Amino acid sequence: MISKKSLQWIAWVLILPVLLLRGFTTIYPILKTVFNSFYDIRILSGINEFAGLSNYVNVFKDQKVITTLKFTGIFVVVSMFFHVILGVGLALILNMKFIGRRFLRTIVLIPWAMPAVVIGMAGKWAFNNDYGLINDFVRRFVPDFQLNWLINTGSARAAVIALDLWKDLPFFAILVLSGLQFISSDIYEAAKVDGANGLKSFMHITLPLIMRNVLTLCIPFTLWRLTGFDLVYSMTSGGPGEDTSLIAYRITMEAFTNLNVGYAAALAVLLFLVMAVFSWFNMRFMSRFGD
Amino acid sequence: MKKKLVSVLLTAALMCSVLAGCGNSNSNSGSSTAAADTGSAKEAGSDTATADDAAPAEAEVESASADTGSGDGKYDLTLYTINSTDEDFNDWLANVEGATGLKINVIAAPTDSDTRQQKITTILSTGDSSVDILEINDEMSASFKNSGWLEGLNDTVMTEDIRGEFPQGYMADMITDRNGQIVGVPGYSGYLAFWVNQEIMDEVGITSIDTKEDFVKYLEAASGDGRYGYGGSWEKTYVFNEIAQFVNMFGGDYLDWTNPANKEAMEFFHEMVEKGYTPIDQIADKYEQMNPKFNDGKYGSLFMWGLGTDYDKAGMLGADKIHMAMVPQFSDQRYIFTDSWSYVLNAASENKDAAIKFLQYMASEEGMKANYEAFDRYPARKDVAEKVVPDTDPTKEMYSRYANECVVKGRPMLPQTMEFISAMGTIFQSYMKDEITVDDFCAKAQEYVETYNK
Repeated sequence: MISKKSLQWIAWVLILPVLLLRGFTTIYPILKTVFNSFYDIRILSGINEFAGLSNYVNVFKDQKVITTLKFTGIFVVVSMFFHVILGVGLALILNMKFIGRRFLRTIVLIPWAMPAVVIGMAGKWAFNNDYGLINDFVRRFVPDFQLNWLINTGSARAAVIALDLWKDLPFFAILVLSGLQFISSDIYEAAKVDGANGLKSFMHITLPLIMRNVLTLCIPFTLWRLTGFDLVYSMTSGGPGEDTSLIAYRITMEAFTNLNVGYAAALAVLLFLVMAVFSWFNMRFMSRFGD
Repeated sequence: MKKKLVSVLLTAALMCSVLAGCGNSNSNSGSSTAAADTGSAKEAGSDTATADDAAPAEAEVESASADTGSGDGKYDLTLYTINSTDEDFNDWLANVEGATGLKINVIAAPTDSDTRQQKITTILSTGDSSVDILEINDEMSASFKNSGWLEGLNDTVMTEDIRGEFPQGYMADMITDRNGQIVGVPGYSGYLAFWVNQEIMDEVGITSIDTKEDFVKYLEAASGDGRYGYGGSWEKTYVFNEIAQFVNMFGGDYLDWTNPANKEAMEFFHEMVEKGYTPIDQIADKYEQMNPKFNDGKYGSLFMWGLGTDYDKAGMLGADKIHMAMVPQFSDQRYIFTDSWSYVLNAASENKDAAIKFLQYMASEEGMKANYEAFDRYPARKDVAEKVVPDTDPTKEMYSRYANECVVKGRPMLPQTMEFISAMGTIFQSYMKDEITVDDFCAKAQEYVETYNK
């Protein structure tokens, strides 16, 4: 009689191609990136030499990167804050019963379905002082309104965050909505009988029941904000100056435009670590929250 | 039985489809090209800031013919080109093949400038011999010319008898390596021309802008009520051209920021913003935003590459509307920048004889004529332009004046070109927004010159 254990090698053989493929396409690039981060590789200068930790040290001396890190922090925090607040609000609206609800649920996803590069290019025009639809709209109420959003640090950053919200908020809301639909209407009816008003129902029933769902959603949405680059690439090119540059955009520029491969690898490794720590922290928090 | 039959048929069909992929797709005898008729590459590279962003209006097509190595006998050489989607490309290719007797394998360069530069850098830096001839812009020329990746052409193509016909300043600044070897054949000649709106000039009663004083007078007269005497595109990677142009006009040196003329040029920019002669809003603008504003009469003048295609499309090109003018003289001489995409020979090429034959044709009168006729590229050689471009072409007179009356230069670039351009653009924007002083700007600029010139 052949034991099951002695046949396990067949299973290994069968999954070996997938393991090899996965190893080659994921693990090898990660290891190679870590390896490169210890080298000074500047293709245009023909330099490729061991640099130890100097790439990592330079990251914290590089004004471009410091500005980038600042904006990345602002972008992630502000964007996620509004994702949660407005996303839950929009989900509640979409959960109400009204005529055209299905239609609204469908069209609300259109911005999310559009490629970020296209949205970024449209955003560049939308926020233009002379030809943009944003100022055109504002001027209907304030005729003398003049503001070129993309030339000042604050307004350019606000514009990038607003566009990011416009694109991804509906998707967040739809996912929250799926959580809302799991809440039985019996609970609300019981609360109503006990004298709870709408606000109390929301605070004591809806919010606690969707909180886990919202927190779960925050993990990928935060990671997407951390790795986002296409919106900035097509909308502001990181400008004015480097004020709207995101870390993923900086990495792309260093790697593929400036061809400073070693330095870009060091930035990528640091981003990888930040994302890993964030995910670990979030999962710990969620498991405690669940308990 | 029925199931078995279906299984056998399906297996047979699968086998056939798999085997179909094993055949040699090079059985066609003509030249292979990835060209798709999706657009035109007219004025390629000339109407851009970092020289190539908007350049070729081509689809991002990778090689449709990459399955032939250039050395397998099917093709005599492989060309990596930005023009393959031009509607006249196939005619051009047939012309070149007919004239040279070469069979040319064509690989379309990616549309995106970063991707294109990355791919070309990879090909050249790794000694990849699958491509023999490449088209590169000024940014790439600056980065590659001293790398040893490109073959010197002094004795084979850019021989003394024709060398003098090309723009000398451009040749020296852009495509001559440190050993004096010319490493490319300019595919055309483009100028960063001075453009004016004649309607505005007529309105304010100015007939010519010949000197700095004339220019300031024009700025003063044309500006006001939402209109500006001068317009630009000051997005951080675009503004480089204008900074360098004004530095030149003031008699400065873009690579020496201790030169007082450089500072004077920067202060002039600042003054234009301060006095409302040019808008600070253009910090966010690339050419795609600047040109509509010029067409709409928002700007009285600007510097721009190309032959005015955008103005023509808007019905604004003409002697009584928007047209090229002579560059005003601010200092001892008139200065103008020229740019080009050059054909270069990969030093790792295994088909150098064929490649040289191709380049010789591109540098010849016939080759330049073919480029002009197919892609509207103004011939880089003076003598050829004189013969080939008809007198009815309005560009001819002005280009000829630029060549004869101005000091024609290639743009000042350093090996780490894109980093340098972006860094300079960033501090320029800061100075224009009064975040730093002119002295801070000059100090930083000098620091960048030293950093990126390694």
